[in-house]
Amino acid sequence: MQAGGPMDKKIDITNLVPQENNEQKSEQKEINYWRSFRELHNDPDFLKEKNNEFKEGVTDDFEVSKLSVLSRRKFLALLSASAALAATGCSDYKEKGSIVPYNKKPEEIIVGLPNFYASTCTSCNNACGILVKTREGRPIKIDGNPDHPVSKGKICAKGQASILNLYDPGRLKDPVYSSDRQNHRNIPWGEVDDKIIAELKTNAGSGKEIAIVTHRVISPSYKKLLDEFIAAYPTTKVYSYELFDEGTKNSAWTKTYGRKTYPVVKLENAKVILALESDFLTYEGNAVENMRLFAMNRDVMNGREFNRLYVVEGAATSTGFTADYRMRLRTDAIEEFVLSLLNEFLVKRRISSFASDVRISGVVQSFQLEKFAKKYNLDGKALNALVEDLIKNQGNSIVLAGNKLPESTHIAVNLLNDVLGNTKLYSADSEEIELQPLSQRNDIETLIGSMNAGNVGMVIHAGTNPVYHIAHDYGYTDAVKKVPTVITIADMLNESSEVSQYVLPLSHILESWGDYRTRTNFYSLQQPMIAPLYRSRQKEAMLLTWLRGNKEAFNENLYHEYVMQNWEKNIFPVLNSKLDFKKFWNASLHDGVAYINEKPAPPSTFIPDAFAGLSSRMTASEEYIVLLEEGNLGDGRFANNGWLQELPHPVSKIVWDNYAAVSVQTAADLGVNNNDNIEVLFGERHLTLPVFVQPGLADKVVEIQLGYGRTKAGDVGSNVGFNANVLLTKHVTLSSRFFNNAKVSKVTGTHELVTTQENHAIDESPLLKDIQFKRGIIVESTYNEFKKNPALVKGEKEKVDIESVNREHKYTSFKWGMSIDLNKCTGCSACVIACNVENNIPVVGKEQVKKGREMTWLRIDRYYHGTPDTPQANFQPMLCQHCDFAPCENVCPVAATTHSADGLNIMAYNRCVGTRYCSNNCPYKVRRFNYFNFRDHFNDAYYDKESVNLMYNPEVTVRSRGVMEKCTFCVQRVMDERQHAIEQNRNVEGANVTTACQDACPSYAIVFGNINDKESEVYKHRENAIGYLVLEEIKTAPNVTYFAKLRNTEEKA
Amino acid sequence: MKKFLLDYGLKVRLPILLFVVIITFAVTYYVSYAERNNIGYQPEQPIKFSHKVHAGDMKIDCKYCHISADKTRNASIPTVSVCMGCHTLARKDMPEIQKLTEYYDQNKPLLWNRIHRVPDFVYFNHSVHVNKGIDCANCHGDVQNMEVIGQVKNLNMGACLDCHRNAHAKLPNLPNINNGPDYCSTCHR
Repeated sequence: MQAGGPMDKKIDITNLVPQENNEQKSEQKEINYWRSFRELHNDPDFLKEKNNEFKEGVTDDFEVSKLSVLSRRKFLALLSASAALAATGCSDYKEKGSIVPYNKKPEEIIVGLPNFYASTCTSCNNACGILVKTREGRPIKIDGNPDHPVSKGKICAKGQASILNLYDPGRLKDPVYSSDRQNHRNIPWGEVDDKIIAELKTNAGSGKEIAIVTHRVISPSYKKLLDEFIAAYPTTKVYSYELFDEGTKNSAWTKTYGRKTYPVVKLENAKVILALESDFLTYEGNAVENMRLFAMNRDVMNGREFNRLYVVEGAATSTGFTADYRMRLRTDAIEEFVLSLLNEFLVKRRISSFASDVRISGVVQSFQLEKFAKKYNLDGKALNALVEDLIKNQGNSIVLAGNKLPESTHIAVNLLNDVLGNTKLYSADSEEIELQPLSQRNDIETLIGSMNAGNVGMVIHAGTNPVYHIAHDYGYTDAVKKVPTVITIADMLNESSEVSQYVLPLSHILESWGDYRTRTNFYSLQQPMIAPLYRSRQKEAMLLTWLRGNKEAFNENLYHEYVMQNWEKNIFPVLNSKLDFKKFWNASLHDGVAYINEKPAPPSTFIPDAFAGLSSRMTASEEYIVLLEEGNLGDGRFANNGWLQELPHPVSKIVWDNYAAVSVQTAADLGVNNNDNIEVLFGERHLTLPVFVQPGLADKVVEIQLGYGRTKAGDVGSNVGFNANVLLTKHVTLSSRFFNNAKVSKVTGTHELVTTQENHAIDESPLLKDIQFKRGIIVESTYNEFKKNPALVKGEKEKVDIESVNREHKYTSFKWGMSIDLNKCTGCSACVIACNVENNIPVVGKEQVKKGREMTWLRIDRYYHGTPDTPQANFQPMLCQHCDFAPCENVCPVAATTHSADGLNIMAYNRCVGTRYCSNNCPYKVRRFNYFNFRDHFNDAYYDKESVNLMYNPEVTVRSRGVMEKCTFCVQRVMDERQHAIEQNRNVEGANVTTACQDACPSYAIVFGNINDKESEVYKHRENAIGYLVLEEIKTAPNVTYFAKLRNTEEKA
Repeated sequence: MKKFLLDYGLKVRLPILLFVVIITFAVTYYVSYAERNNIGYQPEQPIKFSHKVHAGDMKIDCKYCHISADKTRNASIPTVSVCMGCHTLARKDMPEIQKLTEYYDQNKPLLWNRIHRVPDFVYFNHSVHVNKGIDCANCHGDVQNMEVIGQVKNLNMGACLDCHRNAHAKLPNLPNINNGPDYCSTCHR
């Protein structure tokens, strides 16, 4: 499987630049799916690799030196010696260890049964509700809380993976102190509190500023605490920042409607969605909610009409590739595009009352859509469809602008929505809440000015890492070094701790109390599932102790009581609850949410002057554009999370790195290829990083993910990727993460990027060349075809009647099956992480992924088709298909993989001898082999520590070296249901079993259940006309049904 | 001469040698059978708890102490506080009870020596068996008469399958019982 890394082979870029008649050619050809340029252009090496089944090198010898110190000979000698010893001493029974019961068992624990607790995930500002599964007091899995009104039982990949942060062996365990900010040593909490309280008092007394730097404040009790802190120490000032803010979106909203925050959009009612540079289905806004609402209208089972998604973007996002129509456009031309649309609707079609507003029409009339389309080579058909759709669906469509777009674009988009009557889709029942505005540029500049002038006595980084995050041209790092006392509250040592005297261990969200409020109508509560593993405290408790001015004030329940009292005094009275407070509080903690009757202020009207009076608008330049995107690591806080580092990026499928994504044409212009370094330069600010040639990107656009390149993030995350924060600036012209004046050039050097996109290629012998394109791994059609005749969607497939060599199984009672709706899958990868957590899947590291040894049981294949410039893509989750006639089963020489009576293809690890024949014979390439004991092998056994052992799911075997493994359909959950059924004397209910990936999928694309039950959802899916089986013709009889991808386009793609 | 030696070797020495080897092997195999399967393992426990007194003479139900035997796959060992439910009053004069009280008062973990153990890759489920009405004695023997608890039955895979495949013969008092599943994921996952 390996090949020394898919990307170290050079592609001839010049061959990839589309030739003039390319389009015609592709029309004549059968639709072809490709995952990389090497595949598209039939690179002989790639063909050879595919032919070889696995990549070269996957079976490379192990480095003996890295294996156990025992040589084979020594081992055999020891073995015989121990056998001899055993023989002589055989009069004793084997010790079987001891059983240690609880001394006094907590009431709610029954050994072997999980408990679930509702809480809130605050890994980002969406504050999704979570339901945490604990076993014997240890949290082992985080899922969404179904009672939460926004996230409704779903949570993103980062939230799923955040459980690893709790058990991270590199966590800071004790407070540390260093007078020279260099060599920190442990210090007891009492001393910390005494010293800090004394300094707070001195500073407040002498009038020196105490600066608290925090992330966005979304907790009412934390807000109250900060206010009280200011009251107690009056020189305190609170600064808050976010790397991924919605600054321009909200400020545009304020200007156009006079209200603070952008409204909640009722996406479920949108028939047409136009997303402008907006990755709202993966990383932007509340993506979990967006995916759910979007997918509601992508469901062939519920009878709702499909919505239609247009995406116009310069980047290449999974939202873009999910779209029905995707147009690539330089990001800085988007405003002109919006103005052209406005001209089309206002001036040409005279839609809305603004048409008669001369000031507005005066602005827009110089923008002609046809001219614009010609200039940027936009697809005329798609553009016409867009215009017609927006007109036809006035009031039922929505234009979404991405957070990276500048304020002026947002203002124009707000006008566009208003013109089209789409304000109907702004929710009247619910609105975002901003407890405290984020600090603006001048706030931060003032802070830094005061620091430099020596007017700041103390800085407290309350769970933040400003040295890494804040744009370097502010000069924060140098300024903060001049502050006499710097305190960093963090879960691990980080960049900011290097400028701090005190670094105080921060508790994980599963060890903390809290209340959060992000939208009207409800509060979300956070409660701890486990006492702090180490001597950590939550930041609120630290501040509260210092606020009380006495180290004795601290106790484990300090902040718990504070929150409770705040609720009793300030929140409970307005809720009109009929319960007494104690009962109400416990009930709310149980649910994780508390509701409140609120009505947002009635909608306000558009302020035309906001648009007409704009002094400057974004105009397209000829220069390079740089887009700084969110990736799997968030703002870098997940850098030390191996699972997220190893999670392939949804589109590029690159792991353990960030990179500069450029289009084929741009790569050719720059004379670079994959892995070649380029330099991105804005005057003083520059960054060198490797190139990845990304199909579908607009020309002259460079897309880079943030959150990488941390210098001090722990053993896993340090120095992975490149720190693109160095490109941030305080002189924001467009928006903080979007620039259109970059200089980009090739520089010497390369850096190897590793992608999983070519791993596990599906077999193809030279004789069968091109047959892969017709194999129907992906079935795609249009929604119109589906409506005309669903039966025709799949087309005619060659029926091959081959005799199976397997014995036919009879499934008399139940038979497990899954269906995956490709119309709903956006490639977000929450399922992949959920599977990792549920099934104890190890992290293997970049080098091993390069060799094709990644262990994820579930992968998301991304198939491109079309030209490299304007490709479309399909995402397909691929996991063990649990074939009725499984090819893996009959090649196992030791019967380690067999078939169960309920239709599962099962692995008995203890039988497996590691021949890997099964993997060789699996047409779906979903089997994973433990080439090492990866826990021990990865990063000097980083994840082989005691704390990580606490995280493992006790119902799933932790596999060791030399064993094959693969998706089990979460057999532990099936067995759990069987146990409950027997206990309750009933039959096994298919609907009671959910797999981990199904639980996680934010768009409800995965359904699991009993196929033999004609009433079950999964049976109906299986029988649906557009359901198909992958590689059906080789008669493996898989039990995973895929729904054909239906694009809601006017004509066949 | 050479031929004679070869003959001697093949006809006399070799059979004797094989005979000795086979007999040794067979005898060892049978003699060590119980021990290999841990039958008869009966270590001394930190507190001389008598199942005979509790389960036999006083007829306390197994599930009174092993509370999760019908709820989860673990039967569970009673917590010290369960013992103290009675022994705060009962038999406070006995030295073993005083030892127990000490554990309780000092909140000290009580390390019982494990008797029945299946390998880690076996997910045996007590709840399923107990709720099917299978008596504990089928696997654990006549605990009611054991002064010191020990293993009396074989707990290897053969023993499991023996019952799963011949349920009627093995469990004559449960006429409605079906054979148990015998595919790998029943126990291994």
